Amino acid sequence: MRFTVLAGALAGAAAALGPASAFAVDYLSAEQAARLMFPDADGFELRRLTLDAAQLQQLDAQGVRARSVGWTVRLAQRAGVLQGFVVADEVVGKVELISYAVALGLDGAVRQIEILAYRESHGHEIRLPAWRRQFVGKGTAAALRVGEDINNISGATLSCSHVTDGVRRIVAVLALARRAGAL
Amino acid sequence: MTPNKSLALPAHTVMAAALALAAGGALAQSATETALAVRLDQLSSELAAVKAQMAVLQLRGAQAPATSPAPAPVALPGAAPLPGGFDAAAPSAPAGPATVITSYGEINYNRPVHAPQNGQADVRRLVLGFQHRFDERTKLVTELEVEHAVASASDKGEVAVEQAYIERQLTPLLALRAGLFLMPVGLLNENHEPTAFYGVERNFVETAIIPSTWREGGVQGVASFDNGLTAQGGLSTSFDLNKWDAASTEGRESPLSAIHQELSQARSRDLAVFGALNWRGVPGLLLGGSVFSGQGTQGQASTTARITLWDAHARWTPGRWDLSTVYARGDISNTAALNAPLVGNPTLIPKTFDGFYLQGAYKLWSRGDYALSPFVRWERFNTASAYADLGAGLTPAAARAERVTTLGANFVVSPGVVLKADWQRFREAPDLDRVNLGLGWSF
Repeated sequence: MRFTVLAGALAGAAAALGPASAFAVDYLSAEQAARLMFPDADGFELRRLTLDAAQLQQLDAQGVRARSVGWTVRLAQRAGVLQGFVVADEVVGKVELISYAVALGLDGAVRQIEILAYRESHGHEIRLPAWRRQFVGKGTAAALRVGEDINNISGATLSCSHVTDGVRRIVAVLALARRAGAL
Repeated sequence: MTPNKSLALPAHTVMAAALALAAGGALAQSATETALAVRLDQLSSELAAVKAQMAVLQLRGAQAPATSPAPAPVALPGAAPLPGGFDAAAPSAPAGPATVITSYGEINYNRPVHAPQNGQADVRRLVLGFQHRFDERTKLVTELEVEHAVASASDKGEVAVEQAYIERQLTPLLALRAGLFLMPVGLLNENHEPTAFYGVERNFVETAIIPSTWREGGVQGVASFDNGLTAQGGLSTSFDLNKWDAASTEGRESPLSAIHQELSQARSRDLAVFGALNWRGVPGLLLGGSVFSGQGTQGQASTTARITLWDAHARWTPGRWDLSTVYARGDISNTAALNAPLVGNPTLIPKTFDGFYLQGAYKLWSRGDYALSPFVRWERFNTASAYADLGAGLTPAAARAERVTTLGANFVVSPGVVLKADWQRFREAPDLDRVNLGLGWSF
């Protein structure tokens, strides 16, 4: 009986505070995220990057673990003109995978990030716009580290750190690819 | 056996040597290693691509008999063919292994400043756990803990199931847990891995007043809102005041630890309700509080007694700073009636106990994964701040509040490994002043 009352109260509180915007496991697909982050784009070209050993060592020298040699980049275009880039990636949060996508402008700086899927029991707050906005405008010159220029979320330290590390890696990989003329 | 002084090394020297070894272990990748890494990554990418393609084929196969056609994939004008392309975020892509092994552990060394002969090294705890995802919405979370290295009839160690619950995501907003779970209280109880807190030992407020790691059996709803608010609440087992041992000092060290049940053949006539609100709407800021209330005599005594524990907490982590505070207070009703037959024993049941701490840490230095964060913590706690009136000469005097200052540093070796060192000063019991060294890990 008391549980029924409690469940009712929780449901009532949920209704009063308004619905969450998406399902708590899969929020967006990579395609949806790309369109969300580049709403003016009329097309996305998929391009495959393959890093060589020298590039991996360059990243290593920058303190970035490349993790993978293969990267898929979506080139956002409008009327044939390049608008920016989107990379979808996954990192381990605490024990589960977090899927996310990063949009970068032509200046190589982060334009927006979106959480595509979150599966941990704690730390859903990394989806909050206020936390994700911290990345906007940051490029290779930024620290892009939790405890430096990215504030943590208490109780979700590993999720915050690993997503931040992932964004730093994507920023560095795309900068490297652009310098090499691959993008 | 007489120790051989020529061979004996102070524990802190050993820890320092371990630290130096860890720091010196970072070697640059050789070209051969890099080439191997490239090949390994290529194979890994190819395997992932094959898995993703298989998942797509399976999905198509499952959708084939559907009476209505599946929605067409989003068109990507201008998209080039992507041989072997791996789209990590495609909904049909594998979401990692279904079963994941987790672990954390602490090995601590405590050396009383005024009584070094009582120095002690201990595998404080080793926890092994696994999570298994039955489907995208349902998972099992478990943790099995061994404390003090050896659990036997002649040793002080113990083995305990720390968590064992099923979590089901009911709606985009609401998840439900059932089983043995950690109570949502304070800052530490749900985040108690050694890599998550400062200092070798857990703080006193969240061990003596909040009996971390505090878990109960029951059902718990967890609602996460888009405004940064997380609401948790439910029904759970409660404490058992019949376990109170007035002849021991255990209840003086932590009243609730002396009567917790941990779902070990827990008396369950009387259940408890609990709830917690935490708001993380501003990056780096957490504001929250919790309350628990349950009967504690479980129908074993003619007197009923309600146990209430509540807390308020805040944590702010702007940049390199990490500032936090917790206040927690517990109350037990009808303790006069419960204590009456216990008069004459050293430890009666307190009516009230509470504690408060302030903590500040600063990431002073970092390079790569290494990070050094000095911290200072000031605590005031009282495990018996008031007793119910038993009459003149019979009512125990309230205990004096202990005040502990802890000064130390955490040194992160890798994101899951931490070395710790600190010094603690006890205002009321200076004999307890000590230095501590610790090694902790979590993955």
